[in-house]
Amino acid sequence: MSDGMTHEQAREALEALALDALDASERGAVMAHVASCAICQSELAALENTAGELALAAAPIPMSPAQRDRIRARLMARTSADRVSRDPLAAAVPLRVESGSAASDAGVRELRPYMKVRRTFGPAAWMAMAASLVAIVGVGAFLKARGERDAARASLAAVQAASGTQLAALDSLRTTLKAREQMIASLIGPQVAVMTLTSTMPTAPTARMFWDQQHDTWTFVGHHVPMPKAGRTYQMWLVTPTSKISAGTFMPSQNGEVMMQATHAMPKDSLAAVAVTDEPMGGSPQPTTAPMMVAAK
Amino acid sequence: MNPPSTPQPYLAQGTAAPVGAEPGKGRAVESEDEALVRRMAAGDDQALGALYDRWQSVVHGVVARMLRQADDVEDVVEETFWQAWRQASRFDRTRGAVQTWLLTIARSRALDRVRALRRRREEPLEGDDGQIVVQQAAEGDPGLDAEISERRRLVVAALSGLPAEQREALELGYFGGLSQSEIAERTRQPLGTVKTRMRLALQKLRSQLQVLGNEGEGSG
Repeated sequence: MSDGMTHEQAREALEALALDALDASERGAVMAHVASCAICQSELAALENTAGELALAAAPIPMSPAQRDRIRARLMARTSADRVSRDPLAAAVPLRVESGSAASDAGVRELRPYMKVRRTFGPAAWMAMAASLVAIVGVGAFLKARGERDAARASLAAVQAASGTQLAALDSLRTTLKAREQMIASLIGPQVAVMTLTSTMPTAPTARMFWDQQHDTWTFVGHHVPMPKAGRTYQMWLVTPTSKISAGTFMPSQNGEVMMQATHAMPKDSLAAVAVTDEPMGGSPQPTTAPMMVAAK
Repeated sequence: MNPPSTPQPYLAQGTAAPVGAEPGKGRAVESEDEALVRRMAAGDDQALGALYDRWQSVVHGVVARMLRQADDVEDVVEETFWQAWRQASRFDRTRGAVQTWLLTIARSRALDRVRALRRRREEPLEGDDGQIVVQQAAEGDPGLDAEISERRRLVVAALSGLPAEQREALELGYFGGLSQSEIAERTRQPLGTVKTRMRLALQKLRSQLQVLGNEGEGSG
């Protein structure tokens, strides 16, 4: 159908447009007409309202209490961080997760803010691999790190009260605490962008990348990541519109967990995506396989 | 966790939009959902929690209908409410009801995931055999807000009144995310036939919902 679509032709396609079922070849022409036709705009709005009602035809499926609370806790954490990002003056005040949430199970009640950054641009081939363009707080990884930090802090206090013979242990704990503090900062700092990597594999590993833009630190946290084949390794790539930059290689633990950090300075607007590929041991100068995980920023 | 909303009769006190009502008409009084979205726009996360409690099972049902993987479903449910939070200030009650807005977000996010998975895996869609997804509303839909349950009953009743082939076109387009050409290929029908079925189906659905909504309004 050509761009010169008549009102009648466009009108006949409005139902399909409202259902988002128009073929791409037709959609542009219909949209062009609607943009300049008040009658079609009004009709489309009404049809979209009707189409929206169709969702109610699907049977409601209550979530398990654990799942329901888990999502709720993540939403509350994200809204808290979102509020702070809108009002930086509130950043100094610790925020709280609602009681009864998954967070309370971990004995952690406070959250510090992070700044969410979302942009949509980048190389089409890599962008197409991303299932969602979202930036979210990795509550699980954060809570784990936070719990570890609190544990280290408690141990430090105990050691400080002990005799001088424990100074070596104290130093060790200080080092541990500092490392934990740095890691937490790299996860929840005010200039940390968070990207969810979506797997292209059937076993569905999950991962999140925390980009601390203030300190140029990249923290990658993965779960359920399968062990690569013998002689192979995983390689992380920072994808810009013009290049794919290696951020290093990594191997998952026996239980599929990954925690990897890299340092690489990059202008905030340069990143298009992060991706993980399967490469020969030692890594490759450029990706040689399709990404097994990718997130667009 | 907020307590569940108090069940309300459908259209009680004129606070909700009738199913199938034309956008922005006859809704001088703010509905409970609209009040929640207004509070969300002002940064009240308790309002988001309340909206979540009210609609989570419905959103979950829609998303679970469209996606196979539990992890995908959970992600999309979360992203749906997150997008609602982020875009609450852009909600326009004159353009439609909150439930339409929210469920449209859910469907869009689920479709994004469906299409991305399809591109990657060349995976056939659930329901691609023309499986009818509309299920009769259970009596009262236990656990569901009474008002939402009533709306659902009306939609199911309206859909049930459509010829099977028209309902199939709607369902493959809406829940399956298929284009008209893809539906034609899937159902082995001429493209023109699919277009006609889809157009008639949505027109009839709109008409039916208006009739049923008016009846409900009259009896409520």
